[in-house]
Amino acid sequence: MVPQGQTLASPPRLHSRRLRVRGTSITLLRQVREQAQADLGITVDYELLDFPTCQRRAATEPQGYDVYEQCFHNLDIVWFWGALQPIDINRITEWDNISDLAKQGGISKYAWRGHGDAPVRKLYVQPGGFLGPKPSRYISMLPTVHNMDSFGYDPRVFGFAENVTPSWAWLLDKRAKGRIALVDEPAIGFFDAALAAEAAGELDFADIGNMTIEEINALMALLEDRRRQGYFCGAWRDGDAAAQLVRDGAVAVQSMWSPVYCQLGPQAGTFLEAAPLEGYRAWHGGASLSRHLAGADLDMAYEYLNWWLSGYAGSVMARQGYYIATPERSRAHMTPQEWAYWYDGAAAAQDLTGPAGDWVVRAGAVRAGGSYRDRASRIAIWNTVMDEYNYAARAWERFILRVQSGRAVDEGAA
Amino acid sequence: MIRSANPFATEPRYELITRVLRSNIERGTLPEGLVLLEGPISIAMKTSRVPVQAALRHLLAEGLIHRFEGRGYLVGPAGKAITPLRRDLQEFQLNIPGEVDDALRTRGTWRHVYEQVEEQVASCQIFGEFRIVETELSEYLGVSRTVARDVLARLQERGLIRKSASSHWIAGPLTARTVREKFEMRRIMEPAALRLAAPHIRYAEVEHVLEMMDSGSILTSESLSESLLDLCIAQAPNATLVEMIRSNRLLLSSVSRALTSLGLPNDDETNDQYRTIFDLISRHPIDSAVEYLRDHIEILSRRNLARLKIVAVVQETGAFAPYLIPQ
Repeated sequence: MVPQGQTLASPPRLHSRRLRVRGTSITLLRQVREQAQADLGITVDYELLDFPTCQRRAATEPQGYDVYEQCFHNLDIVWFWGALQPIDINRITEWDNISDLAKQGGISKYAWRGHGDAPVRKLYVQPGGFLGPKPSRYISMLPTVHNMDSFGYDPRVFGFAENVTPSWAWLLDKRAKGRIALVDEPAIGFFDAALAAEAAGELDFADIGNMTIEEINALMALLEDRRRQGYFCGAWRDGDAAAQLVRDGAVAVQSMWSPVYCQLGPQAGTFLEAAPLEGYRAWHGGASLSRHLAGADLDMAYEYLNWWLSGYAGSVMARQGYYIATPERSRAHMTPQEWAYWYDGAAAAQDLTGPAGDWVVRAGAVRAGGSYRDRASRIAIWNTVMDEYNYAARAWERFILRVQSGRAVDEGAA
Repeated sequence: MIRSANPFATEPRYELITRVLRSNIERGTLPEGLVLLEGPISIAMKTSRVPVQAALRHLLAEGLIHRFEGRGYLVGPAGKAITPLRRDLQEFQLNIPGEVDDALRTRGTWRHVYEQVEEQVASCQIFGEFRIVETELSEYLGVSRTVARDVLARLQERGLIRKSASSHWIAGPLTARTVREKFEMRRIMEPAALRLAAPHIRYAEVEHVLEMMDSGSILTSESLSESLLDLCIAQAPNATLVEMIRSNRLLLSSVSRALTSLGLPNDDETNDQYRTIFDLISRHPIDSAVEYLRDHIEILSRRNLARLKIVAVVQETGAFAPYLIPQ
């Protein structure tokens, strides 16, 4: 016993409970981690990877993590490797508050669901270990962060927003030849290209969310033709690389992620977020439990999952332009001005800062596409792992290699 | 009757391989720490992997090799913290006594190399389309072109390769559509055959399978599927139908084995369904088993399509057998 008035030298603040999180730059943010550690009294170890690497290692090395933070579309890979265990919704305190976009498939009964893998189609564990939309007590992934992605463009090339309506067709537009880049992920960038091909009137897919071999071949042939003509200047796997292309003035149009708009520096005024005519390519992220978790470790993982939806993490996500499945809980952690800009589509009443406290949005700015409701009502397609994913992914990989090596570009071609 | 003059001619292949590896380890041709893998050994010995696996087990029991954290075995006894030495087996000039070599070669009909080629051809297809060059294949296997041609004919029969318009042998790509169509065929043919087979099913053997499942014997879904085919469906008194059913399944089973060899997890989730089918067959009017079988094949189809997606994670190492030319 320590005598009154005396204290022992306090040990360094180390928590005996450690949680290992494997994920991507979407959610593995310092601010989230620090707050989770403080609130839960645990140590959170992050392992941050790019999308394809993250997916592969999550599938084949489930012993290496406790919680997996990724997107619903890649459950088709990771779940069927048997790397994850079902989440019991009875242990999810915020379950009833999770939005209908995740649980029903659309923000309202009447909203168009979008092509491809809407998260609800992968949410519930069905008999036989399949995933599907029929509600059950167990889910594959806890829905958290999400967004509707589009592309960014240089208005000096395409015109300013008052006069023009951006179209996915711009990703294959002759005006941007040599200054086009795509995100290198076969369930994401592939659909940016597919939307572009349809919008440009080049191709017509019977079901863009589940293409046939012939349709995939036709798309890859179109992309290869444009590549040979020198349309593409690059492909990237992370936001920093995307931002660099813009700052270097290398791109006139490219796939974009929301936080990247905040990293453009002086180029911010000449590279704008599109609200495309055809609608958005949406994605929904979440957190899953590794197969090996049990006992106290499993309890800790549930604490962490519940913490994710309790408000703070959602406010950090909002400041980089992402939405959360329990928006009302996050509202309490945001200023009214932040909420008005990010969720309601109102003009920023003052300068707004990003997750790290640096300047993100200037007063007076309005988010492209408007409010959460407006944007979520215009989902054209979700990031998707199609039936022919293996075939498409390998064709995509070969295409990207050729883009990056710049092989056999027909110099001077029309 | 003329007896072979070669004393090794009747010795099982695994014993011949064990003999060769043992003498090469003992005389130091294969140095301590060398990583031994089934594949390269089976190529050097011109056999399938099965006898190589058996030979390695024997050497392990003899303490001449040991397991380590990686794939394969290390030459030398365990417990000496030997550093793994990863080198191509071909560098080591394996000493194979002429008589043993002869004994291995006389077994060199297509059957002895087929299994290995089938696995290589089935698994390459997930990476895309490949051309197979007959001369390269015979060179790679160390067999005559006649044997290589036999192997190719067998692969074609299984639906693993086809002839292109320019008469080249083509393998792949393996697509979801192929898998879906094969299962659709199964769903049309197999329930119909089961109905026809009802009076001819080998009921006593079905009972035996059920007893084995009840007694906790570990049966793989592959073996249960084989039993269902052999004991029940293939008893249909229509040889043409049964032949179509068998050949329709060949590609699917080759692919399934190839995916497992690429490291995909086995799928034994459906074992309970086999129990239900056998139970329905042995104790109820055939109609219920026929309906259940239809649903079961539908579920198998979905599981296999899901499995085909996850192979996207398997990285292409660029190391295909030299007779496989990416297109």
